[in-house]
Amino acid sequence: MPSLSIQGLTKRYGATVAVDGLSLDVGAGEAVALLGPSGCGKTTTLRMVAGLIEPGDGSIRLDGVDITRQPAYRRGMGYVFQSYALFPHMSVSANVGFGLDERGVGRAERDQRVSQALDLVRLQGLGHRKPKELSGGQQQRVALARALVIKPAVLLLDESLSNLDSKLRDAMRQEIRDIQRALSITTLFVTHDQIEAFTMCDRIAVMEKGRIAQIGSARDIYDDPVSRFVAQFVGRANVLPLTRTGDGLSLAGAPVSVSSVPTGDVDLFIRPQLVKLLAPSEPASGLDRLTGKVTRVSFVGERVEVVVDTAAGRIIVEPPAGTTPPDEGADIGVGWRPADARAFRREDA
Amino acid sequence: MTAIPKSRSLALLALPAALLIVGVYAAPMVGLGRMSFNETGPTGAMVNAFSFDIWAQMLGDDFTWELTLNSLWLSFVATTAALVLGYPLALFLFRTESRFRGLLIVLAVAPMLVSSVVRVFGWLAILGDRGFINFLLMQSGLASAPTRLVYNLTGAAIGLTESLMPYMILALLAGFGRLDRTLEEASASLGAPAWRTFTRVTLPLSLPAILLGWLLCFVLAMSAYVTPKLLGGGRVFLLATEIYDQAITTVNWPLAAALALFTLVVLTLFLGTYSALSRKVQA
Ligand SMILES: Nc1ncnc2c1ncn2[C@@H]1O[C@H](COP(=O)(O)OP(=O)(O)O)[C@@H](O)[C@H]1O
Ligand SMILES: [Mg+2]
Repeated sequence: MPSLSIQGLTKRYGATVAVDGLSLDVGAGEAVALLGPSGCGKTTTLRMVAGLIEPGDGSIRLDGVDITRQPAYRRGMGYVFQSYALFPHMSVSANVGFGLDERGVGRAERDQRVSQALDLVRLQGLGHRKPKELSGGQQQRVALARALVIKPAVLLLDESLSNLDSKLRDAMRQEIRDIQRALSITTLFVTHDQIEAFTMCDRIAVMEKGRIAQIGSARDIYDDPVSRFVAQFVGRANVLPLTRTGDGLSLAGAPVSVSSVPTGDVDLFIRPQLVKLLAPSEPASGLDRLTGKVTRVSFVGERVEVVVDTAAGRIIVEPPAGTTPPDEGADIGVGWRPADARAFRREDA
Repeated sequence: MTAIPKSRSLALLALPAALLIVGVYAAPMVGLGRMSFNETGPTGAMVNAFSFDIWAQMLGDDFTWELTLNSLWLSFVATTAALVLGYPLALFLFRTESRFRGLLIVLAVAPMLVSSVVRVFGWLAILGDRGFINFLLMQSGLASAPTRLVYNLTGAAIGLTESLMPYMILALLAGFGRLDRTLEEASASLGAPAWRTFTRVTLPLSLPAILLGWLLCFVLAMSAYVTPKLLGGGRVFLLATEIYDQAITTVNWPLAAALALFTLVVLTLFLGTYSALSRKVQA
């Protein structure tokens, strides 16, 4: 499996810069997710890698070989379209065999590989059907089989699960991940859904406005976001306004400490799981703390979510499983380790 | 209010159209049918009768079959040429993201707004012995004598092709529904160069449009009169021109009526075969 290397990739549409000097390396056999909000340039990036649109600037290399100006049909990338793009006039087998025909694979081998690919996505026996006779999930699998059967240099998936209902999506996530691992296919996976990115990929590249804001493992990005955007886009965070005092920072009058503080107005970010519930007057050594009132306790699936109103604002707390949640209306304290808190510059409102 | 049963109220909706068809189409057809069994008297006047003479005379005449073949052949050539020329144009119009798309489509079908007589004179200026093309051929030394491009089958075919193109383009545009850029991209990503994508994806997906456009234009070509008459210069003998000549020039109404019905039968047989075949192709 080859490795993919993208350098300074740029694409402009008039005044819009869809992709803005994006650089990214995907190792051989690695799965990387491009995660970002709608319109940040994910699809444009993927299409440039596939050769479906021409980059304005930058280079794309496959195992060191420059393929930036190579036409799509010579790249051998397996592209799974968001809309599946199955050929409506062809049977499932013909769809899956399409790429093999173009490669001049002999009939016997072709049929064998097509049926292997259909087995792989658990569609054995449906080869004679037309795409419109399949369910959404099955069409998705055909699209996947069609991209896999050509033994693609890189597998490219564009929001490929977003048209499925949530249960099917969970199953497909696991399935695609298993196949990707088993065949160790170099994969670039576009999504705006963080759970998809977290469960399906080795590394995640968070995109913002045509650039990569942060790249790393799910854990790294979640625990140590480099910017306000990443902290807010990936996972949930409590955002509390900080004020500068003579020699430090304070939160609603109480002094707090945060490791690195940018200049200007800043906000404090703290993940709900990292906030502890304390008795109102419980001394808490080593924690920054606030007091408030419990306004809501809700059960979100297996998690408990406690909403506490404090002088600094509303804080959401996710206590560890097994803790008895406090009563609504009770006075309570909340605290966190300074090392778990981050400060990011306030956005212009 | 009285409730009208659903099926009956739906039938009522079809009533105006049904009346119109009976009035302006079915009734005259019956009249035409009746007329074809009349006879022509020695003076040339129509005599009321009930004989098969005219039919026997028409079907036994080799000239009738020659007319039929001419008509079918000319229609086939012109329709196919209009398809070959119109297809790339229609595909471009379907695809373009230009903000002038609407205007371009109007331009493509604008010739429909011009009387066919006027267009024929345009073609005469281009194709005639002293027309534009022959001028170029002779000036450039490629030819020493003018090439006959009008007043023959070639001229009729050229003019007919041009007059069919707007209809062809509209029919193709209407039929291109299943064409989808993403499918062509999928084809390219799977390793198909442009021409393979065209033959394996674009062409098969536009087959419904092609079949529709071809059918529509063939029917129009079979019934075309002015263009082949003028550009054929009276030397191209077709069913349509012969019906006109029999009805207006020779004033042999029974024969004109029989020819008209005969044309209808030929066309019906042809279309029956065509739709059976195209159903098979599309299955
Ligand atoms: N063909 C195009 N013409 C003009 N603008 C485009 C085109 N394709 C994408 N864009 C713009 O580029 C930006 C990125 O688009 P896209 O890559 O589709 O985002 P994403 O896939 O992350 O939602 C958007 O602002 C979009 O409007
Ligand atoms: Mg997208």
